[in-house]
Amino acid sequence: MTTLMINGKQYELDAEDDMPLLWVIRDIAGLTGTKFGCGIGMCGACSIHLDGELVRSCMMSFGAAKDKAITTIEGLGSEQGLHPVQQAWIDKDVSQCGYCQPGQIMAAAALLRENPNPSEDEIRTKMTNYCRCGTYLQIFEAVKQAAQLQGEQS
Amino acid sequence: MHANDLELHAQGRSTFVDDIAPPAGLLHAFPVVSTIAHGLIASIDFSEALACSGVAAIMTAADIPGDNNIGNVETEEVLFAEQTVMYQGQPIALVVAESEHEARHAAARIKVDYRELPAVFDAREAHRQGLHIAPPRIFSLGDIEQAWQTCDVIVEGKTQSGAQEHVYLETQTALVYPLENGGLRVVSATQSPGMVQRVIARVLKLTMTQVEVDVLRLGGGFGGKEEQATAWAAIAALAASRLQRPVKIRLSRSDDMRWTGKRHPYDADFKIGLDRSGKILAYDVNFYQNAGAVADLSLAILERTLFHACNSYFIPNVRASAVSCRTNLPPNTAFRGFGGPQAMFVLEAAIFKAAAALQIDAAEIQRLNLMQEGQAFPYGMPAIECRAGLCWERLQENLALSRRQQAINDFNASHRLEKKALALMPICFGISFTATFLNQAGALVHIYADGSVGVSCGAVEMGQGVKQKIGNIVASTFSIDRERVKVESTNTSRIANMSPTAASVGADLNGQATLLACRQILQGLKRVAAGLLDIEAKADKIVIEQERVYFNGQPTAIGWNQLISEAYLSRTALSAHAHYATPGVYFDRSKEQGRPFAYHVYGCAAVEVTVDCLRGIYRIDEVAIVHDGGKSLAPEVDLGQVEGGLMQGLGWMTIEDIRHDSQGRLLNDTLTAYKIPDIHFAPEINVEFVAKDNPAAILHSKAVGEPPFMYGIGVYFALIKAIQAFNPAFEPEFTAPMTPEKVLLALYAES
Repeated sequence: MTTLMINGKQYELDAEDDMPLLWVIRDIAGLTGTKFGCGIGMCGACSIHLDGELVRSCMMSFGAAKDKAITTIEGLGSEQGLHPVQQAWIDKDVSQCGYCQPGQIMAAAALLRENPNPSEDEIRTKMTNYCRCGTYLQIFEAVKQAAQLQGEQS
Repeated sequence: MHANDLELHAQGRSTFVDDIAPPAGLLHAFPVVSTIAHGLIASIDFSEALACSGVAAIMTAADIPGDNNIGNVETEEVLFAEQTVMYQGQPIALVVAESEHEARHAAARIKVDYRELPAVFDAREAHRQGLHIAPPRIFSLGDIEQAWQTCDVIVEGKTQSGAQEHVYLETQTALVYPLENGGLRVVSATQSPGMVQRVIARVLKLTMTQVEVDVLRLGGGFGGKEEQATAWAAIAALAASRLQRPVKIRLSRSDDMRWTGKRHPYDADFKIGLDRSGKILAYDVNFYQNAGAVADLSLAILERTLFHACNSYFIPNVRASAVSCRTNLPPNTAFRGFGGPQAMFVLEAAIFKAAAALQIDAAEIQRLNLMQEGQAFPYGMPAIECRAGLCWERLQENLALSRRQQAINDFNASHRLEKKALALMPICFGISFTATFLNQAGALVHIYADGSVGVSCGAVEMGQGVKQKIGNIVASTFSIDRERVKVESTNTSRIANMSPTAASVGADLNGQATLLACRQILQGLKRVAAGLLDIEAKADKIVIEQERVYFNGQPTAIGWNQLISEAYLSRTALSAHAHYATPGVYFDRSKEQGRPFAYHVYGCAAVEVTVDCLRGIYRIDEVAIVHDGGKSLAPEVDLGQVEGGLMQGLGWMTIEDIRHDSQGRLLNDTLTAYKIPDIHFAPEINVEFVAKDNPAAILHSKAVGEPPFMYGIGVYFALIKAIQAFNPAFEPEFTAPMTPEKVLLALYAES
């Protein structure tokens, strides 16, 4: 049994060291907001934060994640409410099927944490998650909105 | 708090099939599939697999209690191959085990011995060998033989358009629970719950009433889950039924890409004749559709190809033939546009080639031949409320097109290694299922004692926002707060015999049924209100406005909650089911004439590109669109559909390049090898909606799911123009996709 810190809570988890973190999060910890899209780190649907860094959890092993603090989409907000990125996503009607969006939101939150005022090119560089429904233009708008919201809140 | 879908998605709280908490006793199903494209199964050795840990059962066609047939209404398709395999990826057997890992492990240890047979992968080759799914069909108008005599210029050519992988982010998944009395509850990521229900009943020798299919939402469909979710649901159902334990199946991305069908590749021959001014007088086209191994929806898709052979143009003399060719690939299937894009690509290629022969711009020919009010499509239906010209003109104005073109010309004159170009793409897409019997839907509306309203219908939510539209219809018909309305999952026990959510008509059909059901209840509510007001119930004098009863235009003391409470106490029906069938649509296949569509959607796009003439890479700078959108049921949803559809169309024409090896094995079975549009690819998109009322559809809206895909065709011709600005000797071969590699070769091609 290994203890893993997810969203500020300790989880006791029984899994092999080489199990991809994505499956530990989904199947063992039961947090299903993080999605499987490709299993090879290409689509970004599995994006989480590991000690604040954006990571594609399908490409990280359980063993490598021990002793680190994980944040999933479920833990992005706080008692105060939604994360500015989540609020912007809602305000800008971004989601179509919604499947890729938790990953998109985690990527956007990581971007704005490092770079509170990104240019369009900087947004493109970080937001490499796939969206087959094609919501990219709305994602741009939402990231800009979130940057503004975040600026207002601080 | 009652959260809507946007809120659920943003918090990771929206549930997809694989998110459902695993029930106790869950088993995992993993299919064993053919590793050759065509052959006989000589023998199968299960012994090693049966000895693997965790294996609960291994099943084949011999274990099917009913029919080994998962085909739709008109066609047959085996669930498990018995003697013959017809494509790589065809299911042969099923392993059921305690874990997905153990199922996969055991499946890999099943040894199939094949006797290979010759295989065909190319549509023209299949045609040469007479391998047809059905006899060819021909649509004609006018007298084409006569027409050639009157033409000043005639050009001929060939085209080829490629397959396209759906890449719905949620792969094929199903979860099946056994119920009492041999029943099953199936949670399937399908666009066709009705088909899944019918097929499972047939395969397991159950009645449809014993099979309940429920769909909450899909993580993308795009047509890939219209027919092809069925096999996986049937496999899981077979296991669950036999073992009386819940069974889940979930394909990995690679397995999904390898084992499921794609958009149909098409080969075509064209011959087009025009007068000197650019008026098209005659068009002869032969389409060769690459169907894959089994019919699936190939014939319906072929039919739509014929219906859209002339796109947005009036051509007085047409002969369009189309044949569906059987190849040893996974059966190709529905994908946004459904054969329409493939048809339009050919005509645009013909126009492009004709323009070169006439030494005019292709846009001249496009403009001159746009459909006008009352002119006939080759299938006999006239263009009514035709907006082809309107959208074209409006786009010209919005873009100040002649100035834009001048700016492009100036850029090209002053830049040696970068060239820009712009191409226009008008579209016209018919709305209704071409199979008339599918144009029906049912809706069930319940008003509960607390005033909340639940609505069920046959529309599956896959990101196209249909549930939002259905909920909006309920809220606006009753004139109540949208928060009171819950749109239920799509469930076969609530709605029977559903058509698939496809053909862009989910909102049209189900919205109309919903409206009818609400109006039924509303009649009763008005009688109740009249009773409370102690007046005669004159329907036109009593209205509900913003949750309050109004009489003669004046607000009364009766609010929604009281009205519902009184309705219940007075034993007035607070529930209704309604059925809708699109009126006036019919098609006579013996004559290939009729009125198959309720209406058409028009539009025009301008696609601008910049090509790096050193590297062959390119950027799609901007797409400007004027789209015939009707009176929108949800404007933000429609904008999303236009942008998303366009994005897929652009991808189809440029970077999405499906390849197989000589054995029919898919070479791009991962997202590293198959490229779909990402944020770098996304151009600036500017959409103007022409919001004219469409009385032919629900609340005067227009269907929007598929038409925008076809705007993407414009990028192909923009790229050719840009290439020719650098290399005037380049003669296009009209094979799509126009990948950066092809662009590079074209830039340096010698004549």
